[in-house]
Amino acid sequence: MNTRWIVPTILSATLMLGATVTSQTPTVPRMSDGKPDFSGIYTAPSTVNATGPRGNLIFNADKMAPVKPGAESLLYQPRIGDARVDEPRAVCLPSGFPSGMLYILPIQIVQNPKHIVIIPELQRAARIIPLDGRPHREGIEPSYYGDSVGKWEGDTLVIDTVNFKRWILDDYHYTDRTKSRWHSDALRTTEHLRREGNTLHYRITIDDPKIFTKPFSQDFELTHRPDWEEIGLLEYVCEENNRCAGGNCRESDAQ
Amino acid sequence: MTRSLLTLVVVGFSLTVVGPPLLAHHSESAEFDQSKPVKVTGTISRVEWQNPHVWFYVDVKDESGKVTTWGFSNSPPGSLMRRGITKAALKIGAVVNVEGSRARDGSNNASGRRVTFADGKNVFTSEGGE
Repeated sequence: MNTRWIVPTILSATLMLGATVTSQTPTVPRMSDGKPDFSGIYTAPSTVNATGPRGNLIFNADKMAPVKPGAESLLYQPRIGDARVDEPRAVCLPSGFPSGMLYILPIQIVQNPKHIVIIPELQRAARIIPLDGRPHREGIEPSYYGDSVGKWEGDTLVIDTVNFKRWILDDYHYTDRTKSRWHSDALRTTEHLRREGNTLHYRITIDDPKIFTKPFSQDFELTHRPDWEEIGLLEYVCEENNRCAGGNCRESDAQ
Repeated sequence: MTRSLLTLVVVGFSLTVVGPPLLAHHSESAEFDQSKPVKVTGTISRVEWQNPHVWFYVDVKDESGKVTTWGFSNSPPGSLMRRGITKAALKIGAVVNVEGSRARDGSNNASGRRVTFADGKNVFTSEGGE
């Protein structure tokens, strides 16, 4: 064996290994205060390690907690032929959270040390989340998107949301035309967001003690798309072509 | 253009074998039946390049000369734009072949998927076509 190639070969292999290791530990951009910077436009969340229908629109059965005895009627709303109930978004009613977060359109995150703003392109329903340690607001009406506060746990952003009105949980009705799936007004969600390079790891925990025996979580990933920055999020005014105003329309006119 | 180009080519009702359902735009699987493919050739007569979904309409003439208008629901304008499909792609008067899934309600609405132009080029106008 020609030994004159041994040292260069080892050196080059070492350099390649070093490059590989470097590529496996992506850096996280940071704000001036040292916190991770999540700013940017991302793909819609995609499910991770889940079975069942592909896509990001519904919670997967293998992740969900058991339903409490007698709570089936709270979770499932039978289809009644009125789009306002069967699929509220179809008549341009709010998608709400978490449904609106899990839709197939991109999401933009705008961040400063005091707030993080999560803007799904769907309905442009911005969630403005304070990061200054304030408690949840009191004395306000329950809402479609709930009341959120955020805090940092190391490099992970944790968002706690309460004070929901009962509303549609997800797009389960896409897979079962006989009913839709709803959460109760006792819903509490906890989101964990952690950035790793261009990947935003997103875990949402659903705690709805009126319906489920225990909290459950599902993992998603969003991908940062700097190439979408130039176009940016586009307008989404559902009423522009609401073919189903008032819920009185053919099924295929529902949006 | 030949008369046959303006003829309804296929309105298929055959069951198709599908894998795990791909959850596509809005209520595609709820209101449009993926097991009822529709494929028509005709002339684009109207385009609604609007949210929440782009709709376009194709006038299809059968062999007796009767014109039927089909409406196709598609992805929102933003989704199409990010895939390089702009309003200019759907010109009024253009002859197109459109494949999609027929509405469950029996109307002449369908969920658009692949749109093929006279020159053979095609675009997918909903996530379900990707």
